[in-house]
Amino acid sequence: MKIGYYPGCTLKSRAKNLEDSALASLAALGFEVEELPRWNCCGAVFSLANDDLIHHLAPVRDLIRAKDAGHERLITLCSMCYNTLARANLLMKHDEEKRKTLNLFMEEESDYFGEVEVLHVLDFLRRELGWEKLRAAVKRPLEGLRVAPYYGCTLLRPREVAIESPDLPVMFADFLRALGATPVEFPEATACCSSYQIIANESAALEASAKILRAATASSADALAMSCPVCEYNLGRRQGDVRSKHEGVGELPTFYFTQLLAIALGLPQETLGLKWNEASSLELLKKKSYLTVSA
Amino acid sequence: MPYPEELKKLIKIVEGTRAERVARKKAGEEVPFLSLEQRKERLKHHPDFQEEGRRPLKVGASKGYAIAHEFADLLEARSRIDPNKVDLSRWDLETDVLVIGGGGAGSSAALLAQEHGAKVLLATKLRHGDANTMMAEGGIQAATKGDKDSPYYHYLDVMGGGHFTNVPELVERLVTDAPDVIRWLKALGCNFTQIEDGRLATLHGGGTSRKRMHYAADITGAEIMRTLRDEVRNRRADITVLEFSPAVELLLNEHGACAGAVLYNLETETYQLCKAKAVVMATGGSGRLHVRGFMTTNHYGATGDGVILGYRAGVPVSFLHTVQYHPTGVAFQEQAEGILITEKFRGAGANLVNVDGQQFVNEREPRDIEAASIILECTEKRKGVPTPSGKTGVWLDSPMIDMLEGEGTVKREFPGKHILFKRFEIDIAKEPMLIYPTLHYQNGGLEFKASGETKIPGFFVAGEVGGGIHGANRLMGNSLLDIVVFGRVAGASAGSFVKSKPRDGKLSLEHVSRYHAELEAAGVGMDRVAPMVLPDYTPADVKKKQWTAHYEGTLR
Amino acid sequence: MSQAPESLTAKLIPIYIMGKRYEVPETLTIMKAIEHAGYKFIRGCGCRGGICGACGTVYRRPGDYRIHVGLACQTVVEPEMVLTQIPFYPANRASYDYATMEAVGAAVGALYPELFRCVACNACTKVCPMDVEVMDYIAAVKRGDLAEAMRLSFDCIQCGLCASRCMGELPQYHIAQLVRRLYGGKLAPATDHVDAMVKKIADGYYQQKIDELKKMSVDELKKLYTAREQEPHQAPELWKAKSAEGL
Ligand SMILES: Cc1cc2nc3c(=O)[nH]c(=O)nc-3n(C[C@H](O)[C@H](O)[C@H](O)COP(=O)(O)OP(=O)(O)OC[C@H]3O[C@@H](n4cnc5c(N)ncnc54)[C@H](O)[C@@H]3O)c2cc1C
Ligand code: FES
Repeated sequence: MKIGYYPGCTLKSRAKNLEDSALASLAALGFEVEELPRWNCCGAVFSLANDDLIHHLAPVRDLIRAKDAGHERLITLCSMCYNTLARANLLMKHDEEKRKTLNLFMEEESDYFGEVEVLHVLDFLRRELGWEKLRAAVKRPLEGLRVAPYYGCTLLRPREVAIESPDLPVMFADFLRALGATPVEFPEATACCSSYQIIANESAALEASAKILRAATASSADALAMSCPVCEYNLGRRQGDVRSKHEGVGELPTFYFTQLLAIALGLPQETLGLKWNEASSLELLKKKSYLTVSA
Repeated sequence: MPYPEELKKLIKIVEGTRAERVARKKAGEEVPFLSLEQRKERLKHHPDFQEEGRRPLKVGASKGYAIAHEFADLLEARSRIDPNKVDLSRWDLETDVLVIGGGGAGSSAALLAQEHGAKVLLATKLRHGDANTMMAEGGIQAATKGDKDSPYYHYLDVMGGGHFTNVPELVERLVTDAPDVIRWLKALGCNFTQIEDGRLATLHGGGTSRKRMHYAADITGAEIMRTLRDEVRNRRADITVLEFSPAVELLLNEHGACAGAVLYNLETETYQLCKAKAVVMATGGSGRLHVRGFMTTNHYGATGDGVILGYRAGVPVSFLHTVQYHPTGVAFQEQAEGILITEKFRGAGANLVNVDGQQFVNEREPRDIEAASIILECTEKRKGVPTPSGKTGVWLDSPMIDMLEGEGTVKREFPGKHILFKRFEIDIAKEPMLIYPTLHYQNGGLEFKASGETKIPGFFVAGEVGGGIHGANRLMGNSLLDIVVFGRVAGASAGSFVKSKPRDGKLSLEHVSRYHAELEAAGVGMDRVAPMVLPDYTPADVKKKQWTAHYEGTLR
Repeated sequence: MSQAPESLTAKLIPIYIMGKRYEVPETLTIMKAIEHAGYKFIRGCGCRGGICGACGTVYRRPGDYRIHVGLACQTVVEPEMVLTQIPFYPANRASYDYATMEAVGAAVGALYPELFRCVACNACTKVCPMDVEVMDYIAAVKRGDLAEAMRLSFDCIQCGLCASRCMGELPQYHIAQLVRRLYGGKLAPATDHVDAMVKKIADGYYQQKIDELKKMSVDELKKLYTAREQEPHQAPELWKAKSAEGL
């Protein structure tokens, strides 16, 4: 059966590279995913403070759409969307009173009890395929590529929706290892990139990014991998600003983890959406001769 | 409500002949078109040709010209204002170009006048866009496909539709500007329906020899109107829109040029003088006069005001004796009565069928022929279908379209009407519609030239308020075209006129005083007031109880 | 076919216009019922044909907490309905320079930052008398899918009821109008055949033919008219006329 897929807004615009590389990879691995026929913004821009029910409407409505489309599982790529959907799902599963209110409010939709399982694609790959099989599917191992796996916050916090134990996360590193890359450990792997603070409090945000980038470079990483468009914005798009404002930050190419996956699976360059990455990312791939153009 | 049992039985008869009619259509065997001679015969059954419905005008520039009583009543009526009581030495508003009417013609004119450097004030009766333009469904003609069509064929079709009475210069302008109008609208963001390779989709309409009807699903007019309106709003630094402010009289100046208008605020009931260097009249049609008691497809404000104002100022009228009855207005459901069923249904292949399930006219004849044929079928021939409210109609066999073009076509191409009938629990992809002619379009109006000018300097005309383009009968899709063609022309001409620095002079309502004197001398109309501005639908018994309400003619 | 003496015989039912009771024939639309009661419309009535959006009406039924909506000109009265029209509701429209505006979601978001205040409460869709999926087209704009937003919003008649109910305070219909124009003029495929024809005409290609037609007598025109070749109804898009006359 096809697996439900929730893209999220950014993946349809600035983070096209995240979506394109992921969908191509999943297809290459033999998974059939199907975008929800109707969906709205997951609501990630809002706080999901527990007493603020109105902001649960958006994610819950997406979950209902998934259920109505007949999906038991819903995968997401963006960590923000994952986090929002997973938290809203928990609330619908466990908080009887709020569930009742939300279901009553959305009376034009079918009632929802948290039936759909929300999965981040990293976790999905681990469970459905396993790292051994993934390793076997790799056509072009990323040998000698030192990658810093950056989790950020939303894959691991709050604990109830973490894709693995937030105390000692290993999944990202395992994934990179399966691709043939060398994961490097660095202390800021689960630090916050400062997210939307980049708008309200730019200097503090750039400083936070500087700290992360410095730590990754210090562990002699060739590249930084992540799964969130907001992190990518702060650490990739704005890296130039970080460097110009903060000493000791070297240039560090950034990738979505799905781009590395697609490369390792030997998929052609056009599935990578590299025009959305910074120039340094492309250069690195060229230097490593990782790129192929489809026949 | 769905069709009652009696009608369901009659629908069975239509179904009985449908397969054969579809097969004929597929084989290209059309019911023959009428010859020009036969057309003449058929038109005797058209309301335009029945003398008892009209009378010669007793006053004004077209004195002696016979038109419908309902129109004559308004032309032979006095002004809402007493010209002697208006202080013309001061005015409330001043602008370069005053555009009267916020439909498609007025909005196009406003945009072009602005592009020619003018400050524009657009005064309209209801909201900007509450207009017949908004209601047009079927499409807009233009010969844009040079591989099979050209302005030459468009010209011939227009002339034939109008019984060769059209003004050639106007037709020339119409057909040669047409492709540029489509280009302009598309460039402004109008979403015409496209086929796969990007070419614009085009269909036939009544009286077209080539498929040149461009459309935007079944809300072509709305798509054009809302696009133009949006662009007017973008230019608010130069174009001011005054809503609920109909013009009720033109102002001239001492040199006999047009110099503005008297505007009436419908809500506060106050009058304002607007002084302008040029005026574009674009008030649209007059369906709400309910000529000969017919229902109408027109919007609430279609009361022919512009014709009244222009005529009083001295502009003659032409072709006003012909009125277009749209052949296919809803005859059942009662609450939708008169609502237009676009000709595109026939363009897409739906037959007109009588009570015996027989096709009685080719569905692609010009409108007046179709209307006359339906009336003939329902009257003399007694082949009409009786409606529950005691009227008659004929079937428009919409289910044929799905059989010809594939399942789902009706729903896709006619979403508006599909929803309307769905509300009555009728699926027009499966059941035919009951229709009868309805008052639709004012073929004639104020006389004007291909430059938009009239015989009064500084006074321009565009759109349905003008007469001559379509002769005695307009073809579908040529009106949306005409309002944009001549709206642009009039706007540009008015803008250029302003640039030529016309002579300023004292404002005058002398023409109104003169008109009043003429009425008095002829002994007509001094008990009536025009323009009508809004039709009156208050029931007589309620009116009787409105003791302190003051009615003048149809005005409260 | 005289003007509706409609329903003189129809049964009378009570309706409440802004809370006040009137008895009206049960077959009337809300619009005609309001006139039947003695009101004369200035606002709240435009096309009388379901397309201008002047006559948005909200009503409630007894014993039902829901808000119901309809176009007054299209909706038939129901007994005991309590209604009011909402002929106007303030909604800010952002002016823009169409010629230079980029047809991307971000540009729309820059003009209407409130776009991102949508919480997907769906009140807009529920209140739309045209059954437009308002919330869905807003969602499409947010993710920059202007083509989808244009498709979903196409039937919008700009009555403004969505904006009146929006808790994010969005002017949805203005946003939709902007998006449709951006799509139609900047994203939809180009139409080369139109430009080619415009050029041909500007170059005077047809002028001589048209001049001839203009000078012809009615009889000559009639001959040409009767003899002109008709593109058959079922003809394919690339149909070719037998005669090249006038092409
Ligand atoms: C239901 C329907 C369907 C149609 N379908 C088609 C079609 O498919 N193809 C086609 O080509 N044509 C069609 N037509 C005809 C076409 O739409 C109209 O003829 C055309 O739009 C008229 O445009 P206009 O700008 O001249 O007038 P309108 O669009 O009517 O605009 C006139 C404006 O002037 C305002 N006004 C009136 N009086 C005053 C005053 N005293 N002062 C200030 N403002 C005033 C009105 O309120 C209105 O806003 C259709 C018409 C109708 C009614
Ligand atoms: S009056 Fe125009 S939509 Fe009802």
